[in-house]
Amino acid sequence: MRLPPISGEWIDRATTLSFSFEGKSYEGHAGDSISSALLAADAGMLGRSFKYHRPRSVLSMANHDVNTVCQWGERPNVRADVTPLQAGMALTAVNTFGGLAADKARHLGKFARFMPVGFYYKSFYSKKLFPMWERMFRTLTGLGKVDFATPHLRTAKRYDFCDVLVIGAGPSGLSAALAAAEQGAEVVIVDENARAGGSAGYALGAEAARAAQHAEQLAAVEAHPAIRLLTGTYAAGYYTDHWIPLVDGDVLTKMRARSVVVASGAYEQPAVFHNNDLPGVMLASAAQRLIYRYAVRPMQKAVVLVANQDGYRAALDLAAHGIEVVAVVDLRPEPAAGEAEQAVKAKGIRVLTGHCIVEALPGSHGQSVAGAVVAKTPQPGEMPGSERETLVCDGIVMSVGWAPAANLLYQAGTRMRYEKALEQFVPDTLPAGVFACGRVNGVHTLASRRLDGQRAGSAAAANAGFGAAQAIAVPAETESPSHPWPIVSHPKGKNFVDFDEDLQLQDFQNAVQEGFDNIELLKRFSTVGMGPSQGKHSNMNALRILARLVGKEPQQVGTTTARPFFHPVPMALLGGRGFNPERQTPLQSRHDALGAQWMPAGVWQRPEYYRVANQDRLSCIRSEVTAVRQGLGIIDVGTLGKLEVIGPQAAEFLERVYISKYAGLKVGMTRYAVMCDESGVVIDDGVVARLAEDHFYFTTTTSGAATIYRELSRLNTLWQLDCGIVNHTGAFAAVNLAGPKSREVLGKLTKLDLSSTAFPYLALREGTVAGIPARLMRVGFVGEWGYEIHVPANQGAALWDALMAAGQPAGIRPFGVEAQRLLRLEKGHIIIGQDTDGLSNPYDVGLDWATKMDKPFFVGKRSLQVIERQPRKQQLVGFVLGERFTGQAPQECHLVIENGEIAGRVTSIAWSPTLGRHIGLAFVRPSQAAPGTSIAIRLSDGSTVQASVARLPFYDPDNLKQKEAA
Amino acid sequence: MNAVTSARPVSDVAHATCLGIADLSARARAGAKGPGTAAWLAGLGLPLPARPNSWLALPEGGLIARLGNTEYLIEGNAALVESVLRAPRAAGVYPVLRQDAAFALCGSRVNELLLQVCNVDFRCLAADPALVLLTSMAGVGVTVLRSGDIANPVFRLWCDGTYGHYLATTLLEIAGELGGGGIAPDLLP
Repeated sequence: MRLPPISGEWIDRATTLSFSFEGKSYEGHAGDSISSALLAADAGMLGRSFKYHRPRSVLSMANHDVNTVCQWGERPNVRADVTPLQAGMALTAVNTFGGLAADKARHLGKFARFMPVGFYYKSFYSKKLFPMWERMFRTLTGLGKVDFATPHLRTAKRYDFCDVLVIGAGPSGLSAALAAAEQGAEVVIVDENARAGGSAGYALGAEAARAAQHAEQLAAVEAHPAIRLLTGTYAAGYYTDHWIPLVDGDVLTKMRARSVVVASGAYEQPAVFHNNDLPGVMLASAAQRLIYRYAVRPMQKAVVLVANQDGYRAALDLAAHGIEVVAVVDLRPEPAAGEAEQAVKAKGIRVLTGHCIVEALPGSHGQSVAGAVVAKTPQPGEMPGSERETLVCDGIVMSVGWAPAANLLYQAGTRMRYEKALEQFVPDTLPAGVFACGRVNGVHTLASRRLDGQRAGSAAAANAGFGAAQAIAVPAETESPSHPWPIVSHPKGKNFVDFDEDLQLQDFQNAVQEGFDNIELLKRFSTVGMGPSQGKHSNMNALRILARLVGKEPQQVGTTTARPFFHPVPMALLGGRGFNPERQTPLQSRHDALGAQWMPAGVWQRPEYYRVANQDRLSCIRSEVTAVRQGLGIIDVGTLGKLEVIGPQAAEFLERVYISKYAGLKVGMTRYAVMCDESGVVIDDGVVARLAEDHFYFTTTTSGAATIYRELSRLNTLWQLDCGIVNHTGAFAAVNLAGPKSREVLGKLTKLDLSSTAFPYLALREGTVAGIPARLMRVGFVGEWGYEIHVPANQGAALWDALMAAGQPAGIRPFGVEAQRLLRLEKGHIIIGQDTDGLSNPYDVGLDWATKMDKPFFVGKRSLQVIERQPRKQQLVGFVLGERFTGQAPQECHLVIENGEIAGRVTSIAWSPTLGRHIGLAFVRPSQAAPGTSIAIRLSDGSTVQASVARLPFYDPDNLKQKEAA
Repeated sequence: MNAVTSARPVSDVAHATCLGIADLSARARAGAKGPGTAAWLAGLGLPLPARPNSWLALPEGGLIARLGNTEYLIEGNAALVESVLRAPRAAGVYPVLRQDAAFALCGSRVNELLLQVCNVDFRCLAADPALVLLTSMAGVGVTVLRSGDIANPVFRLWCDGTYGHYLATTLLEIAGELGGGGIAPDLLP
């Protein structure tokens, strides 16, 4: 039922919102949560429990009511207690079979005795039947339903920064923010609720002065220019160096703070008694939230179970809003007299001290409360006496204690201690830059919380470099805010400790009896705290139960690990915008215009081949190969790493990093270059070109450019040679103009003498091509006469256009990566990373000729000295399939088998249009490496193909294509 | 290179006020590094930033930025840049061919854009406007400095030119969500 307007209520009564729940139409107001709107409409049962499908309703109204989650269209697990109501919502309860009221699983509770804690570990371990059990449990369990057609929401992710981050905008957090800001710090304060204030806004005890103080404090925060107040935002975790993910409805913000104040408060804890889960049994703070935030009357007649002044204050709040408080039942035999207690008595409300609630009596269909049976509080672990009284009511409100919301403090590395006087864990040692205040710090009295916040805020600002920490004394609490044993045994059980998982008191006794007497073991065996609320309302009671069962103190039992995230973070936010950097050469638009089929190559996109109308992929690739072999091709090689080393010791540097020699390389010449790591493994290759005595230009593999530059920079820093390295990878465009007609076409665009004597194979020349300053290298990677032409990136497109125009009469064809792979395979050239792996040394891959062991030093030499004395284990060889082979050809990584054992693997294979047969490279045993040896290659289907080891290169073995006669 | 204007050829005063991204890749620039570079540049008459990772505006227009201990970037005045490019290399000078993609960001929501792409707190540039930051933005290595006045800051970015299209596309996508977009350089404050 909706109450008359209440000062500070969150709802906008002028805006009515229609929605449906379980097919029935309802109306609520803007500002309502789903639960508040349903309770305002007197919908008693809002959900079913996870295991026994018992009727459930509101417990906390604080984002922990996991028994009242809803399915809203494609959105599963919408928490009804806090999710703002929206017009048109069509909601259903989760975890039912046939709807909330007619749930077919509602009788499961009758079989509870057959489903004790851990029963599935014992009953469903059969390997043979496990698939069947798994299917059954997957059907029975789970909450909302995932719609795999849900569109991917690309939400933003962002960083943010502040001097002091305050987590929790309750009275202590607001005080902390003000104190820090007053000292000059830039403060951000976050609170998961739609409005700031925390319990200061609803735990009023019907005192107008409390509400006024709260309004004044909140106004001061909102008006402060150095404070940013973020509501509807929760701190989802704590990461090293004060990184805090802040989650709101739309964005995940990674907040970096210099100091963090945790003012996260405490979770009110339920009492454990028979039927403590009936709709109508709720935490006092839930009832107060319903009243002051949503103007909802939670019940007509209440019994209030208390163990602290907060409970008496709740009774006053209920009474002030027309709810008949039948009795206040105080677990404590002799409570310290407080103002709230006196006020309760002054109102004539009956107070039963030293009493407990033994059980809640169910109303119709177990979907409401009909009364509370009370008795004198027994000794812990004992049954209540037979002297009992039934109090008729339709709601039970519990305020028996608190558990600190210390999740973030734990994650930050805080050491906590159990403070017996408070019956609560409190921070003992906080990490540097992390501060705690308020209830999480064991301070519960309102005035003290504000003082504690002021203390923590001031200290946090000082830690961030703003002002000095104020010395503020916070008075000690005069009573324990938590009862050490708010738990009552009952022969019929159903006294729930964990509402997420339907765990009862007896379950814990059984688990401990079976030997699971450690908090972490108990958690995993019983699943306590493993539900969606992650034990926020069960861990403390579970810990008390375990401590009593094993005869230890709570401090000795300890707590379980609190991991991020504090609440479940929507996948839409976790999977929001990601960055996938991608490089493009300056010729991207040219390739697009020519119909390039793109493929990823590390961070680059490269043309795999160029599409031709009415030709499939293989035909396109093979025709590109033919064009290069018979006429002219051009490929963009701008993705190669392009480095320079300059200085008097540039040659010495290259001598050290490559396995070949470069000190004697003539100016104007190039040489193949192979790099090893310290273990002698081949890691990169390229070409070194000497521009001047003290100036080299060299290339690396496409994928190796960045890492090789970093490694060379590291080595140069280490060696302190008189030279410097410049990374020009992105600064130069580069193409390889290759084919028998390359010289003829290039000759149209340059004044350089291209004769073989003036510009021999492996020479380097600087000149202009089409008026563009260029570096030209005569290379033969694809096995034809060709030129690698490097120009400044901003002139790459002009170079490409000029070459394409000049080459048109010669039938120039752009060719892609796949054609290049095939061309180089015909020529027997290896690709690092494809024909080598993380163990391949130069000897394995036939690079003995390039390995100059007579040099005084190069990276990897010491390892190679050892390796060369050892027997070879593998050898990279060429192989061919039979000329008339027509079956399924092997693929890369298919294994070479000898005598039933793995002898090697295929690293490259392709059908060569030039040779008219399949050719490839493979690692084989040294004993198989002689040309003509037959090797067996096993295909994926287990069949075997015979191949013959062949001499390399397959194409132009005498290198005639690089000679003038060719 | 014209990554921004080719991707979204919008010159809009509103964008410049809210969040504008201008492509300055075509500006002339030169670079050099090495232990002899400071003396070499000084010999060419250029003023030098005293601190590593700081920059100076050049009297003729443009700027000189010191990237680390011994690397310099000169951008702006074409004649000046040409004179640097043509100057003979001295001992300990390693010329760097600067083919960067270069952008300028401005507008009231520029900070929100930066927060979405970089984990650096750019407030430090307000406190020390001569700073040059070398960091990662949307996964790409960038050089960043702040020019303009306190009320209307302009953030200058440089990255490897081959990342230019990606970075521009990424920045424009987010800018579009924030109500901004590409602008012509003359709209920069």
